[in-house]
Amino acid sequence: MKDFTKICCLLAFLCCIGAAHAQTPLDAIMMEQRESCIALTYDRGSFDQYWEGTYLRKNATIAKVTRTTIAPMIAIGLHKKLNFYVGVPYVKTESSEPNGGFLYGAKGFQDLSLALKLEIINKQMGKGKLAVLAAGGFATPITNYLSDYRPYSLGNGTDEWSVRGIVQYKLDMGLYARVAGGHLFRGETKIERDYYYANGSYYTNWMDVPSAWEYNAAIGIWLFDSSLKLETSYYAQNSTSGDDIRKYNAPQPTNKVNFGQLGFSAQYYIKKVKGLGVLAYYSEVLNGRNIGKVTNFGGGLTYQFKI
Amino acid sequence: MKKNLIISLLCACWCLLLVASCESDLPRFANYSAYDYSKLDEDGGSWTPVMLASPSQIVVPAPEDESSPAYQAELASLKTTMANLDGDQKKAVEYWTNNPIIRWNEIALELAAKYNLIPGPNADGKTYTLPNPATPEGPTPFPFAHPAYTSRMLAYLSVAQFDGLISAWHYKYLYNRLAPSQNDNSIEAAYGETMLPSYPADGAVIAVASRNILSAMFPLEKAYLEERAQEHLSSLQWSGTNVQSDITAGEYIGVEVAKLALGKASKDGMSKAQCPKNVSDSIAKSAFDRFGWKWENREEPPRPVGLAPLYCNVKMWSVPNVADVRPEPPPAIGSPKFLEAVKELQDIQNNMTEEKRRIANWWSDGLGSYTPPGHWNKFAKDFLIKYKENPIRSARTFAYMNMAISDAGISCWDAKYFYHYPRPIQAIPGFKTILGTPNFPSYTSGHSTFSAAAATILSYLYPNEAAQCEAWANEAAESRIYGGIHYRFDAEVGIEQGKKVAEYTLVKAQNDGAD
Repeated sequence: MKDFTKICCLLAFLCCIGAAHAQTPLDAIMMEQRESCIALTYDRGSFDQYWEGTYLRKNATIAKVTRTTIAPMIAIGLHKKLNFYVGVPYVKTESSEPNGGFLYGAKGFQDLSLALKLEIINKQMGKGKLAVLAAGGFATPITNYLSDYRPYSLGNGTDEWSVRGIVQYKLDMGLYARVAGGHLFRGETKIERDYYYANGSYYTNWMDVPSAWEYNAAIGIWLFDSSLKLETSYYAQNSTSGDDIRKYNAPQPTNKVNFGQLGFSAQYYIKKVKGLGVLAYYSEVLNGRNIGKVTNFGGGLTYQFKI
Repeated sequence: MKKNLIISLLCACWCLLLVASCESDLPRFANYSAYDYSKLDEDGGSWTPVMLASPSQIVVPAPEDESSPAYQAELASLKTTMANLDGDQKKAVEYWTNNPIIRWNEIALELAAKYNLIPGPNADGKTYTLPNPATPEGPTPFPFAHPAYTSRMLAYLSVAQFDGLISAWHYKYLYNRLAPSQNDNSIEAAYGETMLPSYPADGAVIAVASRNILSAMFPLEKAYLEERAQEHLSSLQWSGTNVQSDITAGEYIGVEVAKLALGKASKDGMSKAQCPKNVSDSIAKSAFDRFGWKWENREEPPRPVGLAPLYCNVKMWSVPNVADVRPEPPPAIGSPKFLEAVKELQDIQNNMTEEKRRIANWWSDGLGSYTPPGHWNKFAKDFLIKYKENPIRSARTFAYMNMAISDAGISCWDAKYFYHYPRPIQAIPGFKTILGTPNFPSYTSGHSTFSAAAATILSYLYPNEAAQCEAWANEAAESRIYGGIHYRFDAEVGIEQGKKVAEYTLVKAQNDGAD
C-alpha cells in the first residue's frame, strides 16, 4: 500500500503538468492522511505550426516557439479521502533563431494553483475497483506578467476556478480505464492597452478570457508489483466563447482555444531509495483552434514522506 | 465526515457557477447619452468650409411652411411612428444620441482596427500579395488600414462631415424651421427640447456623408454601413428629432459633400503610394548614395517593398510643399550621437521596467488596432463629450485634428523614405524588442509626428487640456524608444516635425470664423 501511494504522488503530478493548461489533478489517485509529497517537474513544449482559427500555418515571424516550465509542487493528504495540492510553475518562452520578429520571449513565475480532491466512492466491484472523485481548484497569477503578449505570454493572467469529476475502474490485475471531465471558469485579464478589437471594438483594458470545458480519457496498466505504470491518455479542452486569431495577426487572450492532445507516460518508483520516484512523458496536440501544434516532453522527480 | 465534505464541495461548485454567471459587460463604444449642447453655434453657417467654395454651394430648396398640410401630415406621421416603437428602436434612439458624429467616428475606428492587418506571405513562403482596390475581396482584402491609410480615411470622413454641417447650419438658420417638438407640444423629443432648427436634418447629413465616405474607404463593408446608416436615419424620426422632409434635405447635402470629398480623394495620389520594387529600390539607392546607409525590411520572408514609399506625394491638406517641413538629417550611423542613442536603447531593453513596458504597450496601437491616429480620435471624442459639443463643433474638432494628423503622416513618410534610416533591429547586432518593428524606415517616428500634430490642434481647441495633450504626445513619442523600435532622435525630431506641420492647419482653424 505504501508503494502504491508513492506512485500516486508521481501520478498526481504527472497529471498536473501533462495536461498543458490544466494545473490541477485529473487522476484517480489518493494519498493517505498525513502522507506528503513534493515534486519537481520539467516540461518543454514547442511548436512551429499553429492554428489561425482552424487553418494550420507556419509563421517565420515567430519561427519555432518553445515554452519551458519548471514546476515545483506539494501534495498533502489531509485525510485519506481528501488531498490538497499547491504548485507554482516557472515559465520561460522564446522563439528559435533566426526569426523575422526579433521579439523578446518572456520568463517568470506564472500562477499559484491550489486544488482539493475528494474521493466520493472507492469500492470493489467484480474483478476490480470503482473510484469516483471530485476536484476543485483555484489558480491566480502571482507576478505581473503580461497576458496580452501571445505567443510568449506566461499564462492567461486571470483567476481560474475549476471543478472536475473523475471516474476510474481498475482491474485487480493492474489494467485500468479512467474518464474525467471538468469546467474551467476564467475571469478577465488586465492588459496594457485601452482599446482592442475582438470581433468588434472594446474600449477597456480588460479582456474576457473564455472559460472552457475539459475532458480526459485514459487507459493504463500497473506492472512489476505496482512499481511501473504506463498510461496513454487523450485530453481535450474547448473554450465556451471567444474569437479567432485574425489573419497573420498575433493571438490574444480573448481567443477561443480548443485542442485535443494525445499523451504517453511512464512512472517508476525506485525501490532502492525510499520515497523517490521518477516520471517521463510525451504528448502531442493533434487538433486545435487558435493554439500551437505543440509537442511536449517532460519528466520529474517526486519524493514522498510522512508528516 | 464524508457527507460534510460532499456538501461543502457542492456548495463550492454552486458559488463558482454564481461567479461565472455575473461576468461584467465590457464597453463596446463610448459611454454617453444625449446631452444639452453647451451652445448651438447659430453662426455655424458662416464658417469657412474646407472644400466647399461657400456654405451655399450645395443648393437646398426652402421647406414647406410649418402651417402647410404637407408639414402637418409629416408631424402626424412622426407621432404615429413614435407611438409604436419596439425595444430595438428605442435602443437605437439611445445609441445614436444627438451627437452621432461620435458614433460614426467610432464606426470608422472599428473598421480601421478590423482592416489593420498586414498581408502575410503567400503559401510559397517567399512572396507577398498586396491588397488591390480593384479586387477588394482579395486574395488579400482591401484595404490594409495602416496608420497612413487610417489617417487619410479619418481626414476625408471628418472634412466631409464638417463641410456638410456648415452647409446644413447655413440652411437651418436661413429657413428657421423649428424642431417638431417646438411646432407640436404633444411631441416629446427623446433628446430634449432644442432651439436648433430642424431643416435640413444634421443627423441625415452625418449619416449619409459618413456612409458614403466609409463605403469608399472600406468597400467590403458597404452592406454593413448601409445598415448602420439606415438605422441612424430612422432613429431621427424614432427620437422625434426630424420629420421626413428634414431628413431628405439632409441626405441630399450628405450625398453632395461626400461626392466632393471622394472626388478629391481619387486624385490625391494615394493610389500610387505603394510603388513597385524597382522604384522602391531606386529610392533606397539614392538614400544610400547620399548618406551611406539604407533601411532594409528584416521580416521573414523579407518584404520586397516597404509600406507606401510614395505616400510623401499624397496631396497635403494645409501644407503647400512637403519638402518645406522636412526635418534635418539624422545622425550618421556610427557617429557619437548615434552610438549614444544605441546605448540608451540597449540599456532600456536590458533593464526593462514594468512602467516602461506599460507605456510601450499602451501606445503601441500596432497591427490590428485603430492606429495612433485612432487613439487621438478617441481622446478627441472624450473631449467632445466632456465639453458637451454640438455636432458642427464636434465635426470641426475632428476635421482640423485629422487634417493635421494626415499632413503629419505625409511629412513623416517623406522623411522616412528620403533619409531611409535603418531600424534598431537592423543597425544593432542581436538587438531584440518588446514591440514588433514596422515595415518602413525609422526616422522620424510616426507616433511622435502624428501625436504632436494632434496635440497641437487639440490644445488650441481645448486650452484647458493643453498640458494633458502635450504630456500624451511626449509619452507616445517616448513609448517607441521603450518598445525598442525607434531611437530617441526619431522621437524628438518627430515631435518637432508634427508641431511644425500642424501650424499650417492651425492657421486655418484660427481663421475659419468659429472662434
